[in-house]
Amino acid sequence: MVRILYIEDEREIGGWVKKELIERGYQVTWLQSGEGVDQYVSEVDLILLDVMLPGLDGFSIGKRMKNKHPNVPILMLSARSAVEDKVEGLSFADDYLTKPFHPDELSARIEVLLRRFQKHEDELIIGHLKVSTKDMRIINKNTGEEIQLTGKQYYLFQFFIRHLNQILTKEQLYEGVWGQPYVEGDKTLMVHIRYLREKIEENPAKPTIIETIRGIGYRVKV
Amino acid sequence: MKNFFRSLQAKYMLIILLAIGLVQISFVGIAAILTGVTGNLEEERWHPNIIEEKWHEEANQLPSISAEEIKEHFAKWKQAFPEASMFWVDENGFLVEKMDVRETLPIQWTAAFTAKFIKDRYGGDPFTVIAFLGEEETNGFIVLEIPRVNFQSPMQTFYDRFGDVILFGTLFVILLFITISYLFFRNIRKRLLHLEQSMTARDKDGLPIQTAVKKKDEVGQLEKAFNDMVLELKESKKREQEEEQLRRELIANLSHDLRTPLTKISAQTYSLLKENLSPEGKQAVKTLQLSIRDIDRLIENLMSYTLLMASKYRLERKEVDVVRYVRESIASWYPVFEKEGFKVEVDLQLFENNHWLVDPAWLGRILDNVYQNVLRHAKSGKFIQVKTESTDQYDAFVIMDQGPGMKRESKEKGAGIGLSIVDMMVKGMELDWDITSSEHGTTIRIKKYK
Repeated sequence: MVRILYIEDEREIGGWVKKELIERGYQVTWLQSGEGVDQYVSEVDLILLDVMLPGLDGFSIGKRMKNKHPNVPILMLSARSAVEDKVEGLSFADDYLTKPFHPDELSARIEVLLRRFQKHEDELIIGHLKVSTKDMRIINKNTGEEIQLTGKQYYLFQFFIRHLNQILTKEQLYEGVWGQPYVEGDKTLMVHIRYLREKIEENPAKPTIIETIRGIGYRVKV
Repeated sequence: MKNFFRSLQAKYMLIILLAIGLVQISFVGIAAILTGVTGNLEEERWHPNIIEEKWHEEANQLPSISAEEIKEHFAKWKQAFPEASMFWVDENGFLVEKMDVRETLPIQWTAAFTAKFIKDRYGGDPFTVIAFLGEEETNGFIVLEIPRVNFQSPMQTFYDRFGDVILFGTLFVILLFITISYLFFRNIRKRLLHLEQSMTARDKDGLPIQTAVKKKDEVGQLEKAFNDMVLELKESKKREQEEEQLRRELIANLSHDLRTPLTKISAQTYSLLKENLSPEGKQAVKTLQLSIRDIDRLIENLMSYTLLMASKYRLERKEVDVVRYVRESIASWYPVFEKEGFKVEVDLQLFENNHWLVDPAWLGRILDNVYQNVLRHAKSGKFIQVKTESTDQYDAFVIMDQGPGMKRESKEKGAGIGLSIVDMMVKGMELDWDITSSEHGTTIRIKKYK
């Protein structure tokens, strides 16, 4: 079960968010200030942090926690929407969501962060594939066989899984997987996506796992 | 008084005085040398007057007037003046004795010839002294002749000997004065140029940099005044920044304070939806939720608008690959349009130059506002197209929908302020935009002129 540490001084909002998150299957610890936060941080998978808090503000708490535990994703949740605040927040936090928000958006963003930080140990079902996110094992449900990916195909697929439901542009994919700036006209990425599709798609001519979003990029959607 | 001696004026006066002093010193020096040299000359060569006096004196005092005595007297003078010639005319007018006489002289001297001789020789060349022998005029006379050339003036002799020294000495003094003046002005020029450089250089705040004050003269005072000015500028800039910060804080806090209750309302409506509500009740709650979203957007826009109007919205322009940026922006909006059943057409081609000098946050805000407007006001068209367009004049991003077009009332619903923000931001980044709207849809072009 995913454990979330939630720091929010506003009682009504805190109570509501906690309830919504529990309903969605998360385990939530809610604190009304940054006091005593350290004893929880090492035991959680994600931190939800408000900015305006009594005592130490959210930015200071967040920076301190990120220094000590860089592997725990931090999502800032604030009614402060100025560019300066967002810029300061994102200098250490992994996402910034402004109030008011829809609980669905909050949980969607939580999911993205959990996947990015590989906090999930569960299995994903994508079309006819069963993917265990921890070790990236891919099983074809139809045949029950494991699909073996080689080198770059593996990293490419892993990159898609970490950015599930997000549309990734050619540049983002190339730079994320190859670690080099994308040069316009380079066909390497296309070739690797074709190889990957040949391995994982039921019908590579009509791909359903890796969608092509025309003019933008590619997406793997659950 | 102390300051006066540190001033450039005082220094320049000093140089002038020094120059005058040098001229004086050289005059005195030359005079001194001259006196010394002429003193020596006097010793060597007697002055004509002295010679004349002496000739007369010795002629008077000859002990006896005999040929031997006179010969001896002539020999003595010949020794002292080797260039001299002498002769003796006796009481009867006969030329008795002569020594080294170059001209031809008559043996018998008549009164007329004597008078003519005296007249010819008076003030002429050679220098001639005629002296009677003994106490009386009856013993005849002796004549001494020395070519004038031997009595050259001491000045002339001096110039002949030391002319070069004086010439070079004068040249040296002039050169020295020119050099000192040159160095003096070169130093001033150097410092003025240095100050000019300090005035044109800028630090990271865009303010001039203070310069080091090394001397307390006029240039030093100028440097100090400049430094004071820089300090004042810095302080005023700091004050301005503090005010700006305060203003931003105020608006940010205001927006925070407005959003917090809004979040509570939102939470409550969301909880309400989970209750068993009648269809009317559900519809009412949904409308409530939409209104909350609108208010949220309005607060955001109002805040940006206020900051933009006061030119206090942070702008940090840098080279951004805009085609890539716009593609990533539509990628993040795609799911929203997809959910609303929009057909999304994207056709982004490379420009000749993809790098525009923009603030990515501003560009993002412009696109967000345009997309939000499409979502709100052009939902019925179910279509959005984002493409690039290049003409001879401009490169542009074109965002087109097939909604009912912009009518007056839609402006009142809040599209107005969103588009005002687009307008201010586009112009703030030196770009341009236009909007065309009909009942078949709205097209927005964000342009950069070539």
